[in-house]
Amino acid sequence: MNLIVCVKEIPDPETPASAFAIDPEAKRAIPAKDTPPVISPFDEQAVEAALRMKDELGGKVTVLSMGAPSAEKVLKHTLSMGADEAFLLNDGAFDNPDSTSTAYALAQAIKKVGEYDIVFCGRQAGDFDAGQVGSGIAESLGIPSVTVVKKIDVSDGKARVERVLPDGYEVVEVSLPALVTVSSELGEPRYATLKGIMAAAKKTVPVWNTQEIGAESSKVGASGARTKIQKLFIPVRESKCEMLEGENEEEAASKLALKLREVKLI
Amino acid sequence: MALNFDLTEEQNLTRQAVRDFAEKEIAPVAQLLDEREEFSVELTRKMAEIGLLGCCVPEKYGGSNIGYTSYIIAVEELARVDGSQAATIAAANSLGIGPIYQFGNEKQREEWLPRLCSGDILAAFGLTEPEAGSDAGSSQTRAELRGDHWVINGSKIFITNSACSLTGVIIVQAITGRRGDGKLEVSCLLVPADAAGLTAREMKGKMMWRASNTGELFFDDCAVPEVNLLGKRGDGFHQMLSTLDRGRLSIAAMGLGGSQGAFELAVQYANSRVQFGRPISSFQVNAFKLADMALEIELARNLLYKACWLLENERPFTVEAAMAKLYCSEVMHRCVHHAVQLHGGYGLMKDYRVERMYRDQRLLEIGEGTSEVLRIIIARNIGIAGRAM
Repeated sequence: MNLIVCVKEIPDPETPASAFAIDPEAKRAIPAKDTPPVISPFDEQAVEAALRMKDELGGKVTVLSMGAPSAEKVLKHTLSMGADEAFLLNDGAFDNPDSTSTAYALAQAIKKVGEYDIVFCGRQAGDFDAGQVGSGIAESLGIPSVTVVKKIDVSDGKARVERVLPDGYEVVEVSLPALVTVSSELGEPRYATLKGIMAAAKKTVPVWNTQEIGAESSKVGASGARTKIQKLFIPVRESKCEMLEGENEEEAASKLALKLREVKLI
Repeated sequence: MALNFDLTEEQNLTRQAVRDFAEKEIAPVAQLLDEREEFSVELTRKMAEIGLLGCCVPEKYGGSNIGYTSYIIAVEELARVDGSQAATIAAANSLGIGPIYQFGNEKQREEWLPRLCSGDILAAFGLTEPEAGSDAGSSQTRAELRGDHWVINGSKIFITNSACSLTGVIIVQAITGRRGDGKLEVSCLLVPADAAGLTAREMKGKMMWRASNTGELFFDDCAVPEVNLLGKRGDGFHQMLSTLDRGRLSIAAMGLGGSQGAFELAVQYANSRVQFGRPISSFQVNAFKLADMALEIELARNLLYKACWLLENERPFTVEAAMAKLYCSEVMHRCVHHAVQLHGGYGLMKDYRVERMYRDQRLLEIGEGTSEVLRIIIARNIGIAGRAM
């Protein structure tokens, strides 16, 4: 099996909103300088899904990321988890992309990697949560895609995929090659091992630019973006506490239930 | 150009990986294990899975072979979260696996190392005796060669990883006779945990490292095959000194990691605790405590990493290892003291992590060479007239 995973470097999602500054002109969120960049958690699960498939069926896991040079660390992390090779898409022309131009660049890189059976993405990035890039890549490659996946079984050149729904899951059969976006229901990703780290440190992460992935410069980065951010701001969250009294526990509980229904929480 | 403080990519990745593991797997259970005084087989196995056993052993024996500095960084990151788990790993690597790899013959390495590196079993190092603490030379455990077996009699105390269900082998230092010059001949023997005549008793009621396993061992005509001799007969004392030199670096790492953990908790708490209308960290008396902690942690880290660098570059490192262990453990003493002080009344409560760190620190000035013994080692190497004692 030739398996490809697309991952994104994001500011640590555990970082509180107060640690970010907003540049209203450039419409960008600027994290505090000690905010560590990490792999987007859903993408880490996509790596896990690919590694599980490799454990079961053998093959090769290739990881791609489009981003800043610092994304090499994220790619090295995936190599420490057990991925075989990784490539970084970095070029000034890739800057300020939206989901469309990101999907296009990644699809071009996937074509450059060549043979593939399944492409894995996280269900959405842990920063902007758009959830568009996975489907966009599939569209660009002209292959089927299944989103929000928790389990994948491959046999006879087809994949049987469990897709998460609000009240359960549905089973989808899809021909290969295909793209899946992986959800947290897959289960915890494995830890990087120290042996994996030793192997990862010996590997280099080649950097690809616009020409190297055979992309048209008008379709990548800001030039290829089809969406514009109109306004970027940190929403103000207000909270207040209301104490409910009751003669006994039953009465307090029923008042609480009524209150929760009143504010449409249940 | 030679001076360079950059860590390698492997070392940075090791820190990141172990920190991630410690925060997700150890932090949520550390308090409960401490309260129950419970050694966790499950957690030990998980630590083995990511490669924390056999850090300095080649892959052909199942080790992860990450190098000594990376190993020290791994212990540091464990200790930042929990002293007990750091102790399990430090003792397993430095005192258990280390001597078997360093001094064992090929057959012994092949027999023990793969199972030790996989976390199937743990090895312990039996040195301390009820009557032989700092004065390791006064140990009384004896081994006598009868036919083709060593027969051991005596006892050991405070032996980490020696009395749990994972304990597989114990390296026992014993008197095996008298040398030509009349001095005692000391050798080390590999004693399987299930050897007849060996009784291991888990020691309970510890103030610190309550989730690590500590045992008391009794040898009553305990017989092991002659081939279980580790290295050469009579090399036991040298093996012990060498093992302790290396082991001290891992204890130092526990002091450094514990200091870092206590410092982070102190900053976090002092920034969020408001008294007199402002965060208590904004009071100079408190800010200076935090500044002192940051300063000493920086110094401790530089000293410890330099000692590791000496070891990895095959230079003498005994004095620097003693200095690092002494300094890092005393820095942690001051850091946990300040950290509890900053937490005020809450710092005295078990619900707060800093309370456990305060207790866990105390061992570091005692185990693997007391601070007093370490000062003797340093004093003997700085040109003082006579032999410091």
